[in-house]
Amino acid sequence: MSEMTDADNSFIQEALPAFISEAQEQIESLEQLLLQLEDAPRDTELLNALFRCAHTVKGSAGIFGLNRVVAFTHHVETLLDKLREGQLDFTPALGTLLLQCNDQLRTLVAQARDADTAETPEAVADRAALVERLQAAAGHADKAEPAAEAAPATAVAPTPANAGSARCWHVSTAFGTDTFRNGMDPLALLNYVRGLGSVPNLVCDIVAVPPLDQLDPESCHLAFELGLDTDASRAEIEGAFSFVRDDCVLHVLEPGATPEDYARLIEAMPDNPRLGDILVACGAITRAQLQHGLRTQSQAAAAGATPRPLGEILQSTSGVSAQVVNAALNKQTKAKQRDTAPATAAAAGDDGRFIRVQADRLDSVINLLGELVIAGAGAALLARQTRQGTLIEANAQISRLIEEIRNGTLQLRMVPIGETFSRFRRVVRDTAAELGKDVSFEIVGGETELDKSVVERIADPLMHLVRNALDHGLETAAERLASGKPAQGRLTLSACHESGSIVIRILDDGRGINRERVLARAWERGLVEDGVTPPDEDILRLIFEAGFSTAEKVTNLSGRGVGMDVVRRNIEALRGTVMVYSDPGEGSRIEIRLPLTLAIIDGFLVGVGASKFIFPLEAVVEVIESRSAISTPDDRGRSVVELRGRVLPVLNLRTLYGLETTEPERISVVVIKSGSHSYGVMVDVLLGQHQTVIKPLGRMFQSLRGMSGSSILGSGEVALILDVNSLGESVAGKPPAPAKSRDVTNGGPKSLARS
Amino acid sequence: MARRSKTSPAPTVATPLALPAELTIYTVGALHPQWLAWLGQGPAEVPADLQAAAVEQVDAAGLQLLLSLQRALAQRGRSLHIQAPSTVLRGGCEALGLGEWLKDQIGPMAEGAHA
Repeated sequence: MSEMTDADNSFIQEALPAFISEAQEQIESLEQLLLQLEDAPRDTELLNALFRCAHTVKGSAGIFGLNRVVAFTHHVETLLDKLREGQLDFTPALGTLLLQCNDQLRTLVAQARDADTAETPEAVADRAALVERLQAAAGHADKAEPAAEAAPATAVAPTPANAGSARCWHVSTAFGTDTFRNGMDPLALLNYVRGLGSVPNLVCDIVAVPPLDQLDPESCHLAFELGLDTDASRAEIEGAFSFVRDDCVLHVLEPGATPEDYARLIEAMPDNPRLGDILVACGAITRAQLQHGLRTQSQAAAAGATPRPLGEILQSTSGVSAQVVNAALNKQTKAKQRDTAPATAAAAGDDGRFIRVQADRLDSVINLLGELVIAGAGAALLARQTRQGTLIEANAQISRLIEEIRNGTLQLRMVPIGETFSRFRRVVRDTAAELGKDVSFEIVGGETELDKSVVERIADPLMHLVRNALDHGLETAAERLASGKPAQGRLTLSACHESGSIVIRILDDGRGINRERVLARAWERGLVEDGVTPPDEDILRLIFEAGFSTAEKVTNLSGRGVGMDVVRRNIEALRGTVMVYSDPGEGSRIEIRLPLTLAIIDGFLVGVGASKFIFPLEAVVEVIESRSAISTPDDRGRSVVELRGRVLPVLNLRTLYGLETTEPERISVVVIKSGSHSYGVMVDVLLGQHQTVIKPLGRMFQSLRGMSGSSILGSGEVALILDVNSLGESVAGKPPAPAKSRDVTNGGPKSLARS
Repeated sequence: MARRSKTSPAPTVATPLALPAELTIYTVGALHPQWLAWLGQGPAEVPADLQAAAVEQVDAAGLQLLLSLQRALAQRGRSLHIQAPSTVLRGGCEALGLGEWLKDQIGPMAEGAHA
């Protein structure tokens, strides 16, 4: 027996993380629903979904005995129910309160990990304050509709004993034998019921409890009769029992139930001959009333009228099953797919269609796959060397399959960025309110997918940029009106795929970046030599330098001068780039360009001399043969070629990287598209498409401009993966990066170019 | 009140049963055989003493086990005598609508102790 208890304990321990992550998804959904409600306060679908989310959190928290969560969610649920039933209107103030409650819930769920931790008195007080506000808000609803809960008038003469209060319900419940095994505790449940109102009388019916020698201690034989003085609706009262409904007999009699009703209750529970006595004992009814009721009932039965069976009224009106919740949420998700958090989708989808997999398992599969791709390429190479047609064909087949597996596996890691974007709704809402600004927030391309690990790591930099746009970029309504703009500012977060990368843009129509101020600050901070005015674009880039802040008023949101440089570093760590564009007075646009995945790409393999390079295939537009049309390269390997009547800048890798080989007679120019412009790269040989497993660059090469990684070819050779964006900057003549790399890139080639 | 009864010369030879700190679904499985064994020891017609001061945690399953013990004793013509029920035990009984029942298991004997 004790082993079983241990097993139960360890089950709870094992299941808890799953509960926490699911609860967090529900909480995320709650937040999104609340924010959507602000735009559509009367949407009943949203209100229903909201209620169900809260209910689900409460229910599963109950199973894990997380009493704080259950107790608190209950109050939230009460208010949501009032909203759902139309007794209360969703106001912005209520929205704020519910969002705060949701935050509280998030904290409580996070604490569930270590249930034993004591709470600080402040936390308890905070929660109590929220509960008070919730109750006040819910109570307000009653005043609005005082008649709603009035007891139904009855024509029957004897008044029930509970009539002292018109709101006193009678609840009769017998718990199923499996109640304990299912992890439910009637004691906790009764305490929860007490939370609905007050319980003036409660009797535990112990008639079914067998003596010790016949007892299975883990079977439940308890039944209860109780009066419940509450404002709650029938659905709420029955809802309290929703998690034991499957094996619990529950009868709820409305306030003002007639003795006949009680008589029917007694009939409905034939196994319990003492029920009548118990009802009298618990004060639900007087003995005289009971006898009167039983008499009426039997007369009616004699007259042939079918008595309304109690169970029928009571069944399946509450305890929305998980399936119903899922189905409803699913529908909801489909309707809102464009702008709802995929968290909702994940939470809503029907259980059979989703599998939770630990990320590290997936990672190890992807690592193995990387090895497989390399090994496969090696095998293909060997096969080609044998010149056996069938072997080559078989290998080609294997390569195709590997490619499909690779794509499929990488798909598993892809998640839409919308989930991350949606979180910013709340940030924008709260931050704008705090700053007294009116901001509309728009999300474009939330369905754009990228690698999960990239999504996770981009959230913080994005958060900073969004806050920054709100704090520094957008003006207050008065300022906007004064400069002839609409009072409401616009902030747009967009994502799209572009030549093998994902581009995330943060757009605002605020005041833009003041170049003079940026420059002045840069001079002051010594970021730029005093009096020197770099080109416009470079001025804007200064905001990403360490220790830079132009805010005249430092707020606690941003403007502490830390952050923008960290943002840039974080993005660069993801092999991404960040650019800022701004028109004074019109707003600014920050563009983040990230690789789709950190693991494997489709590459285009080329050779220059003995060296191999790989371009991301998506960036390759075309390849042109070129003989004499190329102008002589300058000392950084830059020249131009004419392509269909337009001038295309061309880069000579041999010069750029100082490769000590002679140029062949025939060369090819690979045309690369990087962002909005194109350029060419001169190469000796084209080696074709290649599945490229990205390996990080060694420390020695990390400062090299234009490289994003390395890869091992089937032959065991190392190929360098070119970063088309930074290479493009080299073409455009951007200042080459750190001095260290300049030695490498410029030192050698000079002599070569002149030789 | 109840505590004083401890010192009173109770007419029992059986060892009192001490309730553990945790009287819940997690412990009922282990307690059940122990209690059954204890039940078999006691002489008939003698109130069964139960030391209940140590109880720190109860749930419905634990209280049901206590109820069941009392019923088994009743079948044997014995009464249960709960000594010094802890606040937790009292609270648990109250919450489960067993407040009166608990008083019945303390009341008569407590008076007996005074006598």
